[in-house]
Amino acid sequence: MSTTANFPTTSQGVFLEKDIDTNDMVVNIGPQHPSTHGVLRLITTLDGELVKEIEPVIGYLHRSKEKMAESRSLFQYQPTIDRVEYLSSFFDHYAFVAALEKIADLHVPKRVQYIRMITMELNRITSHLLWFGTYLLDLGATSPMFYAFREREKILSLFEDLTGARMMYNYYRFGGVVADMPEGWLDKVRAFLDEAPKRFDEYEAIVSKNPIFLDRTMGIGIIQPEVAIQYGVTGPTLRASGVNLDQRKANPYCCYDEVEFDVPLGTKGDCYDRFVVRMQEMRESLKIIRQAVDNMPGGDTADLNKRRESGDETANDVELQTYGKKINLITYKPPKGEAMVTVESPRGFLGCYMITDGTPKAYRIKWRGASFSNLSILPELMRGRLFPDLMSIFGSIDVILPEVDR
Amino acid sequence: MTDNKVLSGIVEIGRGMATVGKHLFRPPVTLEYPEVMPELSKRFHGRLCLLTKSSGEDLCIGCQACARVCPCGDLIQIEMHRDDKKQPVIDRFTIDIGRCIFCGNCTEVCPVDCIKMLNDFELADYSREALVLDKSGLSLSGEESDKYRKEHGLEPHVE
Repeated sequence: MSTTANFPTTSQGVFLEKDIDTNDMVVNIGPQHPSTHGVLRLITTLDGELVKEIEPVIGYLHRSKEKMAESRSLFQYQPTIDRVEYLSSFFDHYAFVAALEKIADLHVPKRVQYIRMITMELNRITSHLLWFGTYLLDLGATSPMFYAFREREKILSLFEDLTGARMMYNYYRFGGVVADMPEGWLDKVRAFLDEAPKRFDEYEAIVSKNPIFLDRTMGIGIIQPEVAIQYGVTGPTLRASGVNLDQRKANPYCCYDEVEFDVPLGTKGDCYDRFVVRMQEMRESLKIIRQAVDNMPGGDTADLNKRRESGDETANDVELQTYGKKINLITYKPPKGEAMVTVESPRGFLGCYMITDGTPKAYRIKWRGASFSNLSILPELMRGRLFPDLMSIFGSIDVILPEVDR
Repeated sequence: MTDNKVLSGIVEIGRGMATVGKHLFRPPVTLEYPEVMPELSKRFHGRLCLLTKSSGEDLCIGCQACARVCPCGDLIQIEMHRDDKKQPVIDRFTIDIGRCIFCGNCTEVCPVDCIKMLNDFELADYSREALVLDKSGLSLSGEESDKYRKEHGLEPHVE
Protein backbone atom coordinates (compact mmCIF):
# COMPACT_ATOMS: atom_id res chain seq x y z
CA MET A 1 0.00 0.00 0.00
CA SER A 2 1.40 3.35 -0.92
CA THR A 3 0.89 6.04 1.66
CA THR A 4 2.45 8.83 -0.31
CA ALA A 5 -0.29 9.14 -2.86
CA ASN A 6 -1.05 12.69 -3.67
CA PHE A 7 -4.82 12.75 -4.02
CA PRO A 8 -6.22 15.59 -6.08
CA THR A 9 -9.06 17.66 -4.74
CA THR A 10 -12.57 16.64 -5.63
CA SER A 11 -13.14 19.71 -7.74
CA GLN A 12 -10.63 18.33 -10.24
CA GLY A 13 -12.90 15.33 -10.63
CA VAL A 14 -10.32 12.61 -11.29
CA PHE A 15 -8.00 10.57 -9.18
CA LEU A 16 -4.41 10.11 -10.19
CA GLU A 17 -3.66 6.54 -11.06
CA LYS A 18 0.05 6.56 -10.42
CA ASP A 19 1.49 5.79 -7.00
CA ILE A 20 -1.70 4.03 -5.91
CA ASP A 21 -1.30 0.32 -5.23
CA THR A 22 -4.53 -1.57 -4.95
CA ASN A 23 -5.30 -5.03 -3.68
CA ASP A 24 -7.09 -7.55 -5.86
CA MET A 25 -10.65 -8.15 -4.86
CA VAL A 26 -12.18 -11.62 -4.72
CA VAL A 27 -15.87 -11.68 -5.60
CA ASN A 28 -18.12 -14.70 -5.40
CA ILE A 29 -20.71 -14.93 -8.15
CA GLY A 30 -23.29 -17.49 -7.27
CA PRO A 31 -24.01 -20.27 -6.29
CA GLN A 32 -27.44 -18.66 -6.41
CA HIS A 33 -27.34 -16.15 -9.22
CA PRO A 34 -30.05 -15.67 -11.83
CA SER A 35 -27.63 -15.45 -14.74
CA THR A 36 -25.79 -18.70 -14.08
CA HIS A 37 -28.88 -20.72 -15.18
CA GLY A 38 -28.45 -23.25 -12.45
CA VAL A 39 -26.22 -23.55 -9.46
CA LEU A 40 -22.70 -22.47 -10.37
CA ARG A 41 -20.21 -20.57 -8.27
CA LEU A 42 -17.60 -18.40 -9.96
CA ILE A 43 -14.69 -17.27 -7.78
CA THR A 44 -13.63 -14.09 -9.54
CA THR A 45 -10.42 -12.18 -8.82
CA LEU A 46 -10.92 -8.59 -9.90
CA ASP A 47 -8.37 -5.87 -10.50
CA GLY A 48 -10.68 -2.90 -10.69
CA GLU A 49 -13.00 -3.63 -13.59
CA LEU A 50 -10.70 -6.25 -15.08
CA VAL A 51 -11.04 -9.95 -14.39
CA LYS A 52 -7.64 -11.41 -13.48
CA GLU A 53 -8.70 -14.95 -12.77
CA ILE A 54 -11.98 -16.83 -12.70
CA GLU A 55 -12.55 -20.26 -11.25
CA PRO A 56 -15.81 -22.15 -11.73
CA VAL A 57 -16.81 -24.33 -8.77
CA ILE A 58 -19.15 -27.09 -9.85
CA GLY A 59 -20.86 -30.04 -8.19
CA TYR A 60 -23.79 -28.36 -6.46
CA LEU A 61 -26.26 -30.28 -8.62
CA HIS A 62 -24.56 -33.66 -8.45
CA ARG A 63 -27.21 -36.40 -8.27
CA SER A 64 -24.97 -39.42 -9.01
CA LYS A 65 -26.71 -40.28 -12.27
CA GLU A 66 -23.94 -42.67 -13.27
CA LYS A 67 -23.94 -44.59 -9.99
CA MET A 68 -27.74 -44.88 -10.07
CA ALA A 69 -27.44 -46.99 -13.21
CA GLU A 70 -25.58 -49.68 -11.26
CA SER A 71 -28.42 -50.23 -8.80
CA ARG A 72 -31.34 -50.25 -11.22
CA SER A 73 -32.35 -52.35 -14.20
CA LEU A 74 -31.90 -50.57 -17.52
CA PHE A 75 -35.62 -49.95 -17.97
CA GLN A 76 -35.90 -48.73 -14.37
CA TYR A 77 -32.99 -46.35 -14.94
CA GLN A 78 -34.35 -44.91 -18.18
CA PRO A 79 -36.80 -42.30 -16.74
CA THR A 80 -34.06 -40.78 -14.62
CA ILE A 81 -31.85 -39.88 -17.60
CA ASP A 82 -34.41 -37.27 -18.61
CA ARG A 83 -32.94 -35.28 -15.76
CA VAL A 84 -29.34 -35.39 -17.03
CA GLU A 85 -29.99 -32.58 -19.46
CA TYR A 86 -33.56 -31.53 -18.99
CA LEU A 87 -33.80 -29.04 -21.85
CA SER A 88 -33.14 -31.64 -24.52
CA SER A 89 -33.86 -35.04 -23.03
CA PHE A 90 -34.59 -36.73 -26.34
CA PHE A 91 -30.86 -36.65 -27.06
CA ASP A 92 -30.00 -38.33 -23.76
CA HIS A 93 -32.56 -41.00 -24.47
CA TYR A 94 -31.31 -41.54 -27.99
CA ALA A 95 -27.70 -42.00 -26.83
CA PHE A 96 -28.79 -44.42 -24.10
CA VAL A 97 -31.15 -46.43 -26.27
CA ALA A 98 -28.80 -46.53 -29.25
CA ALA A 99 -25.94 -47.78 -27.08
CA LEU A 100 -28.02 -50.75 -25.97
CA GLU A 101 -29.29 -51.35 -29.51
CA LYS A 102 -25.64 -51.54 -30.57
CA ILE A 103 -24.77 -54.04 -27.84
CA ALA A 104 -27.83 -56.25 -28.31
CA ASP A 105 -27.96 -55.76 -32.09
CA LEU A 106 -31.65 -54.84 -32.03
CA HIS A 107 -33.38 -53.90 -35.26
CA VAL A 108 -34.98 -50.45 -35.29
CA PRO A 109 -37.77 -49.89 -37.86
CA LYS A 110 -37.38 -47.02 -40.27
CA ARG A 111 -40.61 -45.34 -39.12
CA VAL A 112 -39.27 -45.25 -35.57
CA GLN A 113 -36.00 -43.70 -36.74
CA TYR A 114 -37.91 -40.96 -38.54
CA ILE A 115 -40.08 -40.24 -35.49
CA ARG A 116 -36.90 -40.03 -33.44
CA MET A 117 -35.30 -37.67 -35.92
CA ILE A 118 -38.34 -35.32 -35.93
CA THR A 119 -38.54 -35.25 -32.13
CA MET A 120 -34.81 -34.66 -31.73
CA GLU A 121 -34.77 -31.76 -34.17
CA LEU A 122 -37.87 -30.20 -32.59
CA ASN A 123 -36.10 -30.56 -29.27
CA ARG A 124 -33.04 -28.79 -30.66
CA ILE A 125 -35.28 -25.85 -31.58
CA THR A 126 -36.82 -25.71 -28.08
CA SER A 127 -33.36 -25.74 -26.53
CA HIS A 128 -32.03 -23.00 -28.80
CA LEU A 129 -35.18 -20.93 -28.25
CA LEU A 130 -34.76 -21.11 -24.49
CA TRP A 131 -31.12 -20.13 -24.91
CA PHE A 132 -32.13 -17.20 -27.11
CA GLY A 133 -34.65 -15.93 -24.57
CA THR A 134 -32.47 -16.26 -21.50
CA TYR A 135 -29.33 -14.94 -23.20
CA LEU A 136 -31.09 -11.72 -24.11
CA LEU A 137 -32.54 -11.58 -20.63
CA ASP A 138 -28.96 -11.73 -19.31
CA LEU A 139 -28.07 -8.83 -21.60
CA GLY A 140 -31.03 -6.79 -20.39
CA ALA A 141 -33.69 -7.32 -23.07
CA THR A 142 -36.90 -8.66 -21.58
CA SER A 143 -39.43 -9.01 -24.40
CA PRO A 144 -37.61 -11.55 -26.64
CA MET A 145 -37.92 -14.10 -23.84
CA PHE A 146 -41.71 -14.02 -24.02
CA TYR A 147 -41.68 -14.43 -27.78
CA ALA A 148 -39.22 -17.33 -27.61
CA PHE A 149 -41.30 -19.06 -24.95
CA ARG A 150 -44.44 -18.64 -27.08
CA GLU A 151 -42.93 -20.73 -29.89
CA ARG A 152 -41.37 -23.15 -27.43
CA GLU A 153 -44.80 -23.67 -25.92
CA LYS A 154 -46.16 -24.76 -29.30
CA ILE A 155 -43.47 -27.43 -29.64
CA LEU A 156 -44.02 -28.57 -26.07
CA SER A 157 -47.73 -29.05 -26.86
CA LEU A 158 -46.70 -31.23 -29.80
CA PHE A 159 -44.52 -33.27 -27.45
CA GLU A 160 -47.39 -33.55 -24.99
CA ASP A 161 -49.64 -34.98 -27.69
CA LEU A 162 -46.96 -37.48 -28.66
CA THR A 163 -45.42 -38.57 -25.37
CA GLY A 164 -47.75 -37.34 -22.64
CA ALA A 165 -45.15 -35.15 -20.98
CA ARG A 166 -43.79 -31.72 -21.69
CA MET A 167 -40.20 -32.05 -20.52
CA MET A 168 -39.55 -35.53 -19.09
CA TYR A 169 -40.56 -37.60 -22.08
CA ASN A 170 -39.39 -41.18 -21.44
CA TYR A 171 -40.56 -42.00 -24.96
CA TYR A 172 -37.83 -44.04 -26.66
CA ARG A 173 -37.55 -47.74 -25.97
CA PHE A 174 -34.98 -50.37 -26.86
CA GLY A 175 -35.67 -50.99 -30.53
CA GLY A 176 -38.68 -48.72 -30.80
CA VAL A 177 -40.84 -46.05 -29.25
CA VAL A 178 -43.65 -46.29 -26.69
CA ALA A 179 -46.52 -45.64 -29.08
CA ASP A 180 -47.07 -44.51 -32.64
CA MET A 181 -47.89 -40.89 -33.41
CA PRO A 182 -51.47 -39.85 -32.66
CA GLU A 183 -53.64 -39.37 -35.75
CA GLY A 184 -53.09 -35.99 -37.36
CA TRP A 185 -49.90 -35.24 -35.45
CA LEU A 186 -47.86 -34.75 -38.62
CA ASP A 187 -50.32 -32.07 -39.80
CA LYS A 188 -49.76 -30.19 -36.56
CA VAL A 189 -46.00 -30.38 -37.12
CA ARG A 190 -46.50 -29.07 -40.67
CA ALA A 191 -48.53 -26.14 -39.34
CA PHE A 192 -45.69 -25.29 -36.98
CA LEU A 193 -43.14 -25.56 -39.79
CA ASP A 194 -45.11 -23.05 -41.86
CA GLU A 195 -45.35 -20.57 -39.02
CA ALA A 196 -41.91 -20.82 -37.44
CA PRO A 197 -39.74 -19.06 -40.10
CA LYS A 198 -41.92 -15.92 -39.79
CA ARG A 199 -41.38 -15.90 -36.05
CA PHE A 200 -37.63 -16.37 -36.43
CA ASP A 201 -37.61 -13.39 -38.81
CA GLU A 202 -39.29 -11.38 -36.08
CA TYR A 203 -36.64 -12.32 -33.54
CA GLU A 204 -33.91 -11.23 -35.89
CA ALA A 205 -35.70 -7.96 -36.64
CA ILE A 206 -35.77 -7.18 -32.93
CA VAL A 207 -32.28 -8.30 -32.02
CA SER A 208 -29.69 -9.08 -34.63
CA LYS A 209 -28.92 -5.49 -35.71
CA ASN A 210 -29.77 -3.70 -32.48
CA PRO A 211 -26.78 -1.41 -31.71
CA ILE A 212 -26.80 -2.22 -27.98
CA PHE A 213 -26.78 -5.95 -28.70
CA LEU A 214 -23.99 -5.54 -31.27
CA ASP A 215 -21.85 -3.54 -28.85
CA ARG A 216 -22.18 -6.21 -26.19
CA THR A 217 -21.47 -9.21 -28.41
CA MET A 218 -19.30 -8.23 -31.40
CA GLY A 219 -15.61 -8.89 -30.81
CA ILE A 220 -16.32 -10.15 -27.28
CA GLY A 221 -15.20 -13.58 -26.11
CA ILE A 222 -13.32 -14.63 -29.22
CA ILE A 223 -12.45 -18.34 -29.21
CA GLN A 224 -9.62 -19.26 -31.58
CA PRO A 225 -10.25 -22.57 -33.40
CA GLU A 226 -7.06 -24.18 -32.03
CA VAL A 227 -7.93 -23.21 -28.46
CA ALA A 228 -11.46 -24.53 -28.85
CA ILE A 229 -10.17 -27.89 -30.08
CA GLN A 230 -7.63 -28.10 -27.24
CA TYR A 231 -10.35 -27.60 -24.64
CA GLY A 232 -12.68 -30.13 -26.25
CA VAL A 233 -15.35 -27.56 -27.02
CA THR A 234 -18.07 -28.92 -29.31
CA GLY A 235 -21.40 -27.94 -30.78
CA PRO A 236 -22.42 -24.48 -31.99
CA THR A 237 -19.72 -22.94 -29.79
CA LEU A 238 -17.05 -24.74 -31.80
CA ARG A 239 -18.73 -24.20 -35.16
CA ALA A 240 -18.93 -20.45 -34.52
CA SER A 241 -15.11 -20.51 -34.53
CA GLY A 242 -15.20 -21.92 -38.05
CA VAL A 243 -14.45 -25.58 -37.31
CA ASN A 244 -16.74 -27.80 -39.34
CA LEU A 245 -17.45 -30.63 -36.91
CA ASP A 246 -20.98 -31.89 -36.63
CA GLN A 247 -21.66 -35.46 -35.52
CA ARG A 248 -24.72 -35.58 -37.79
CA LYS A 249 -22.45 -35.13 -40.82
CA ALA A 250 -19.18 -36.58 -39.55
CA ASN A 251 -20.59 -39.82 -38.23
CA PRO A 252 -24.26 -40.04 -39.27
CA TYR A 253 -26.54 -41.79 -36.79
CA CYS A 254 -30.30 -42.32 -36.88
CA CYS A 255 -31.29 -41.37 -40.47
CA TYR A 256 -29.32 -38.15 -40.82
CA ASP A 257 -27.57 -39.45 -43.93
CA GLU A 258 -30.94 -39.48 -45.74
CA VAL A 259 -31.77 -35.80 -45.27
CA GLU A 260 -30.09 -32.73 -46.71
CA PHE A 261 -29.03 -29.86 -44.52
CA ASP A 262 -26.16 -27.41 -44.13
CA VAL A 263 -23.93 -26.90 -41.13
CA PRO A 264 -23.82 -23.16 -40.36
CA LEU A 265 -20.31 -21.93 -39.59
CA GLY A 266 -19.06 -18.72 -38.02
CA THR A 267 -15.93 -16.84 -39.00
CA LYS A 268 -14.61 -14.91 -36.00
CA GLY A 269 -15.75 -17.01 -33.06
CA ASP A 270 -17.13 -14.15 -30.96
CA CYS A 271 -20.43 -14.04 -29.06
CA TYR A 272 -22.24 -12.62 -32.08
CA ASP A 273 -21.12 -15.50 -34.29
CA ARG A 274 -22.40 -17.98 -31.73
CA PHE A 275 -25.75 -16.18 -31.77
CA VAL A 276 -25.90 -16.27 -35.57
CA VAL A 277 -24.91 -19.93 -35.77
CA ARG A 278 -27.64 -20.95 -33.33
CA MET A 279 -30.29 -18.91 -35.14
CA GLN A 280 -29.29 -20.51 -38.45
CA GLU A 281 -29.24 -23.95 -36.88
CA MET A 282 -32.89 -23.59 -35.95
CA ARG A 283 -33.74 -22.92 -39.61
CA GLU A 284 -31.68 -25.94 -40.68
CA SER A 285 -33.58 -28.03 -38.13
CA LEU A 286 -36.84 -26.91 -39.72
CA LYS A 287 -35.46 -28.09 -43.06
CA ILE A 288 -34.63 -31.52 -41.62
CA ILE A 289 -38.06 -31.86 -39.99
CA ARG A 290 -39.84 -30.94 -43.23
CA GLN A 291 -37.94 -33.62 -45.17
CA ALA A 292 -38.58 -36.18 -42.45
CA VAL A 293 -42.31 -35.39 -42.31
CA ASP A 294 -42.64 -35.62 -46.09
CA ASN A 295 -40.68 -38.88 -46.34
CA MET A 296 -42.16 -40.53 -43.25
CA PRO A 297 -42.46 -44.27 -44.03
CA GLY A 298 -46.16 -45.15 -43.91
CA GLY A 299 -47.23 -41.52 -43.71
CA ASP A 300 -49.71 -40.32 -41.14
CA THR A 301 -51.06 -42.83 -38.61
CA ALA A 302 -54.62 -42.31 -39.85
CA ASP A 303 -53.65 -43.44 -43.37
CA LEU A 304 -51.69 -46.38 -42.00
CA ASN A 305 -54.60 -47.50 -39.82
CA LYS A 306 -56.96 -47.30 -42.81
CA ARG A 307 -54.60 -49.47 -44.85
CA ARG A 308 -54.39 -51.98 -42.02
CA GLU A 309 -58.17 -52.15 -41.64
CA SER A 310 -58.68 -52.72 -45.36
CA GLY A 311 -56.41 -55.78 -45.13
CA ASP A 312 -53.36 -54.38 -46.91
CA GLU A 313 -50.47 -56.73 -46.05
CA THR A 314 -47.77 -54.16 -46.88
CA ALA A 315 -49.02 -51.95 -44.03
CA ASN A 316 -47.93 -54.61 -41.54
CA ASP A 317 -44.34 -54.49 -42.78
CA VAL A 318 -41.71 -54.59 -40.03
CA GLU A 319 -40.36 -51.17 -41.06
CA LEU A 320 -43.72 -49.57 -40.24
CA GLN A 321 -44.08 -50.96 -36.72
CA THR A 322 -43.37 -49.15 -33.47
CA TYR A 323 -41.08 -51.93 -32.26
CA GLY A 324 -38.56 -53.96 -34.20
CA LYS A 325 -38.84 -56.83 -31.77
CA LYS A 326 -40.90 -56.49 -28.62
CA ILE A 327 -38.78 -57.33 -25.59
CA ASN A 328 -40.00 -58.05 -22.08
CA LEU A 329 -38.94 -54.90 -20.30
CA ILE A 330 -39.27 -56.36 -16.79
CA THR A 331 -36.92 -59.30 -17.20
CA TYR A 332 -34.80 -58.18 -20.14
CA LYS A 333 -31.15 -59.18 -19.83
CA PRO A 334 -28.92 -57.59 -22.47
CA PRO A 335 -25.95 -59.62 -23.73
CA LYS A 336 -22.45 -58.92 -22.52
CA GLY A 337 -20.75 -56.08 -24.35
CA GLU A 338 -19.87 -52.43 -24.45
CA ALA A 339 -20.73 -49.54 -26.76
CA MET A 340 -20.23 -45.82 -27.05
CA VAL A 341 -22.74 -43.64 -28.88
CA THR A 342 -22.16 -39.94 -29.45
CA VAL A 343 -24.91 -37.67 -30.68
CA GLU A 344 -24.93 -34.01 -31.64
CA SER A 345 -26.99 -32.39 -28.88
CA PRO A 346 -27.85 -28.64 -28.97
CA ARG A 347 -24.77 -28.01 -26.84
CA GLY A 348 -22.33 -30.34 -28.53
CA PHE A 349 -21.26 -33.96 -28.31
CA LEU A 350 -23.33 -35.97 -25.89
CA GLY A 351 -21.97 -39.45 -25.35
CA CYS A 352 -23.21 -42.51 -23.54
CA TYR A 353 -20.71 -45.27 -22.79
CA MET A 354 -22.38 -48.45 -21.62
CA ILE A 355 -20.91 -51.72 -20.39
CA THR A 356 -23.28 -54.62 -19.76
CA ASP A 357 -22.39 -57.90 -18.08
CA GLY A 358 -25.37 -60.12 -18.84
CA THR A 359 -27.51 -59.01 -15.88
CA PRO A 360 -30.56 -56.70 -16.10
CA LYS A 361 -28.40 -53.88 -14.75
CA ALA A 362 -25.65 -52.09 -16.60
CA TYR A 363 -22.16 -52.70 -15.24
CA ARG A 364 -21.21 -49.08 -15.89
CA ILE A 365 -22.68 -46.08 -17.64
CA LYS A 366 -20.63 -42.99 -18.37
CA TRP A 367 -22.12 -39.77 -19.68
CA ARG A 368 -20.03 -37.36 -21.72
CA GLY A 369 -21.78 -34.03 -21.35
CA ALA A 370 -21.00 -31.23 -23.76
CA SER A 371 -21.55 -28.49 -21.16
CA PHE A 372 -18.72 -29.77 -18.96
CA SER A 373 -16.09 -29.30 -21.66
CA ASN A 374 -17.63 -26.07 -22.87
CA LEU A 375 -17.54 -24.61 -19.36
CA SER A 376 -13.82 -25.39 -19.01
CA ILE A 377 -12.96 -22.71 -21.58
CA LEU A 378 -14.53 -19.92 -19.48
CA PRO A 379 -11.38 -19.06 -17.40
CA GLU A 380 -9.38 -18.82 -20.62
CA LEU A 381 -11.93 -16.49 -22.20
CA MET A 382 -12.36 -14.25 -19.18
CA ARG A 383 -8.70 -13.61 -18.40
CA GLY A 384 -8.06 -9.88 -18.79
CA ARG A 385 -11.60 -9.08 -19.90
CA LEU A 386 -13.93 -6.50 -18.43
CA PHE A 387 -16.21 -7.70 -15.67
CA PRO A 388 -19.48 -6.67 -17.42
CA ASP A 389 -18.54 -8.97 -20.31
CA LEU A 390 -18.76 -11.99 -18.00
CA MET A 391 -22.48 -12.61 -18.49
CA SER A 392 -22.36 -11.95 -22.18
CA ILE A 393 -19.55 -14.50 -22.60
CA PHE A 394 -20.87 -17.06 -20.13
CA GLY A 395 -24.35 -16.92 -21.63
CA SER A 396 -23.08 -17.34 -25.16
CA ILE A 397 -21.43 -20.72 -24.53
CA ASP A 398 -24.83 -22.11 -23.45
CA VAL A 399 -23.95 -24.13 -20.38
CA ILE A 400 -26.59 -26.12 -18.56
CA LEU A 401 -25.50 -27.02 -15.07
CA PRO A 402 -27.37 -30.30 -14.43
CA GLU A 403 -25.43 -31.71 -17.36
CA VAL A 404 -22.11 -30.49 -15.96
CA ASP A 405 -22.64 -32.10 -12.55
CA ARG A 406 -24.91 -34.99 -13.57
CA MET B 1 -18.91 7.19 -39.99
CA THR B 2 -20.21 7.96 -36.50
CA ASP B 3 -23.22 9.67 -38.01
CA ASN B 4 -23.97 6.55 -40.01
CA LYS B 5 -23.74 4.42 -36.90
CA VAL B 6 -26.04 6.69 -34.96
CA LEU B 7 -28.50 6.87 -37.85
CA SER B 8 -28.51 3.12 -38.47
CA GLY B 9 -28.85 2.56 -34.72
CA ILE B 10 -31.97 4.70 -34.59
CA VAL B 11 -33.40 2.95 -37.65
CA GLU B 12 -32.70 -0.51 -36.22
CA ILE B 13 -34.15 0.29 -32.80
CA GLY B 14 -37.20 1.70 -34.58
CA ARG B 15 -37.54 -1.51 -36.60
CA GLY B 16 -37.32 -3.57 -33.41
CA MET B 17 -39.90 -1.41 -31.65
CA ALA B 18 -42.27 -1.68 -34.63
CA THR B 19 -41.98 -5.48 -34.49
CA VAL B 20 -42.73 -5.46 -30.78
CA GLY B 21 -45.60 -3.05 -31.36
CA LYS B 22 -47.29 -5.45 -33.80
CA HIS B 23 -48.05 -7.72 -30.87
CA LEU B 24 -50.54 -5.19 -29.54
CA PHE B 25 -52.99 -6.24 -32.25
CA ARG B 26 -52.58 -10.00 -31.90
CA PRO B 27 -54.84 -12.18 -29.76
CA PRO B 28 -53.29 -13.30 -26.45
CA VAL B 29 -51.73 -16.75 -26.35
CA THR B 30 -52.05 -17.28 -22.60
CA LEU B 31 -54.90 -18.95 -20.70
CA GLU B 32 -56.63 -17.61 -17.58
CA TYR B 33 -55.66 -20.85 -15.88
CA PRO B 34 -57.85 -21.46 -12.83
CA GLU B 35 -60.96 -20.34 -14.73
CA VAL B 36 -60.00 -21.86 -18.08
CA MET B 37 -58.53 -25.35 -17.91
CA PRO B 38 -55.98 -26.34 -20.57
CA GLU B 39 -56.88 -29.12 -22.98
CA LEU B 40 -54.57 -32.00 -22.19
CA SER B 41 -53.70 -34.85 -24.49
CA LYS B 42 -55.00 -38.37 -23.89
CA ARG B 43 -51.48 -39.57 -23.21
CA PHE B 44 -50.91 -37.04 -20.45
CA HIS B 45 -48.84 -38.30 -17.51
CA GLY B 46 -51.02 -37.34 -14.55
CA ARG B 47 -52.16 -39.00 -11.35
CA LEU B 48 -52.06 -42.79 -11.28
CA CYS B 49 -55.29 -44.76 -10.93
CA LEU B 50 -56.43 -48.36 -10.91
CA LEU B 51 -59.06 -49.47 -13.40
CA THR B 52 -61.59 -52.02 -12.24
CA LYS B 53 -63.80 -54.60 -13.89
CA SER B 54 -67.14 -53.41 -15.28
CA SER B 55 -68.76 -54.88 -12.15
CA GLY B 56 -66.49 -52.78 -9.92
CA GLU B 57 -64.29 -55.66 -8.68
CA ASP B 58 -60.50 -55.42 -8.60
CA LEU B 59 -58.81 -55.91 -11.95
CA CYS B 60 -55.31 -56.03 -10.44
CA ILE B 61 -53.79 -59.51 -10.18
CA GLY B 62 -50.98 -58.52 -7.81
CA CYS B 63 -48.16 -59.53 -10.15
CA GLN B 64 -45.79 -56.80 -8.84
CA ALA B 65 -44.68 -55.85 -12.38
CA CYS B 66 -45.34 -52.15 -11.75
CA ALA B 67 -43.43 -52.22 -8.47
CA ARG B 68 -40.45 -53.87 -10.15
CA VAL B 69 -40.01 -51.30 -12.92
CA CYS B 70 -40.59 -48.22 -10.75
CA PRO B 71 -37.45 -46.05 -10.66
CA CYS B 72 -38.36 -44.66 -7.21
CA GLY B 73 -37.80 -47.78 -5.15
CA ASP B 74 -40.69 -48.75 -2.86
CA LEU B 75 -43.17 -46.22 -4.19
CA ILE B 76 -45.76 -48.87 -5.12
CA GLN B 77 -46.49 -51.40 -2.38
CA ILE B 78 -48.73 -54.38 -3.01
CA GLU B 79 -49.76 -57.14 -0.59
CA MET B 80 -51.92 -59.98 -1.84
CA HIS B 81 -52.97 -63.54 -1.08
CA ARG B 82 -54.89 -66.22 -2.98
CA ASP B 83 -58.33 -67.33 -1.94
CA ASP B 84 -59.77 -70.89 -1.97
CA LYS B 85 -60.26 -70.81 -5.75
CA LYS B 86 -56.63 -69.64 -6.28
CA GLN B 87 -57.89 -66.22 -7.35
CA PRO B 88 -55.72 -63.27 -6.32
CA VAL B 89 -57.07 -60.96 -3.61
CA ILE B 90 -55.39 -57.59 -3.11
CA ASP B 91 -55.05 -56.79 0.59
CA ARG B 92 -53.18 -53.53 0.24
CA PHE B 93 -52.19 -51.35 -2.73
CA THR B 94 -50.60 -47.99 -1.92
CA ILE B 95 -48.88 -45.44 -4.14
CA ASP B 96 -46.98 -42.50 -2.69
CA ILE B 97 -47.94 -39.84 -5.25
CA GLY B 98 -45.68 -37.34 -3.48
CA ARG B 99 -42.62 -39.28 -4.62
CA CYS B 100 -43.91 -40.31 -8.06
CA ILE B 101 -41.98 -38.87 -11.01
CA PHE B 102 -44.80 -39.59 -13.51
CA CYS B 103 -42.57 -41.52 -15.91
CA GLY B 104 -45.27 -43.99 -16.97
CA ASN B 105 -43.13 -47.13 -16.68
CA CYS B 106 -45.76 -48.92 -14.57
CA THR B 107 -48.58 -48.25 -17.03
CA GLU B 108 -46.54 -49.77 -19.82
CA VAL B 109 -45.74 -53.13 -18.23
CA CYS B 110 -49.14 -53.85 -16.61
CA PRO B 111 -50.30 -57.16 -18.17
CA VAL B 112 -54.02 -56.51 -17.52
CA ASP B 113 -54.11 -52.74 -18.32
CA CYS B 114 -55.09 -51.98 -14.75
CA ILE B 115 -52.76 -49.19 -13.61
CA LYS B 116 -53.23 -46.11 -15.82
CA MET B 117 -52.66 -42.37 -15.75
CA LEU B 118 -55.40 -39.73 -15.50
CA ASN B 119 -55.39 -36.13 -16.71
CA ASP B 120 -55.48 -34.94 -13.11
CA PHE B 121 -52.48 -32.72 -12.36
CA GLU B 122 -53.64 -30.60 -9.40
CA LEU B 123 -52.21 -32.77 -6.68
CA ALA B 124 -51.00 -30.32 -4.05
CA ASP B 125 -51.99 -31.08 -0.47
CA TYR B 126 -51.22 -29.92 3.04
CA SER B 127 -49.45 -33.05 4.32
CA ARG B 128 -47.25 -35.78 2.91
CA GLU B 129 -49.46 -38.47 4.42
CA ALA B 130 -52.45 -37.26 2.38
CA LEU B 131 -50.49 -37.99 -0.80
CA VAL B 132 -50.11 -41.69 0.00
CA LEU B 133 -53.14 -43.12 -1.77
CA ASP B 134 -54.56 -46.53 -0.88
CA LYS B 135 -56.68 -48.87 -2.97
CA SER B 136 -59.96 -47.06 -2.37
CA GLY B 137 -58.39 -43.72 -3.30
CA LEU B 138 -56.84 -45.09 -6.47
CA SER B 139 -59.60 -47.29 -7.85
CA LEU B 140 -62.10 -45.95 -10.35
CA SER B 141 -65.66 -47.24 -10.25
CA GLY B 142 -66.84 -49.74 -12.86
CA GLU B 143 -68.57 -47.12 -14.98
CA GLU B 144 -65.62 -44.73 -14.84
CA SER B 145 -63.31 -47.56 -15.87
CA ASP B 146 -65.49 -48.43 -18.84
CA LYS B 147 -65.53 -44.77 -19.84
CA TYR B 148 -61.73 -44.56 -19.53
CA ARG B 149 -61.26 -47.69 -21.64
CA LYS B 150 -63.59 -46.31 -24.31
CA GLU B 151 -61.90 -42.91 -24.46
CA HIS B 152 -58.39 -44.31 -24.61
CA GLY B 153 -59.07 -47.00 -27.17
CA LEU B 154 -58.49 -49.92 -24.82
CA GLU B 155 -60.34 -53.17 -25.29
CA PRO B 156 -63.50 -53.42 -23.18
CA HIS B 157 -63.17 -55.74 -20.23
CA VAL B 158 -64.69 -59.21 -20.61
CA GLU B 159 -64.96 -61.80 -17.87
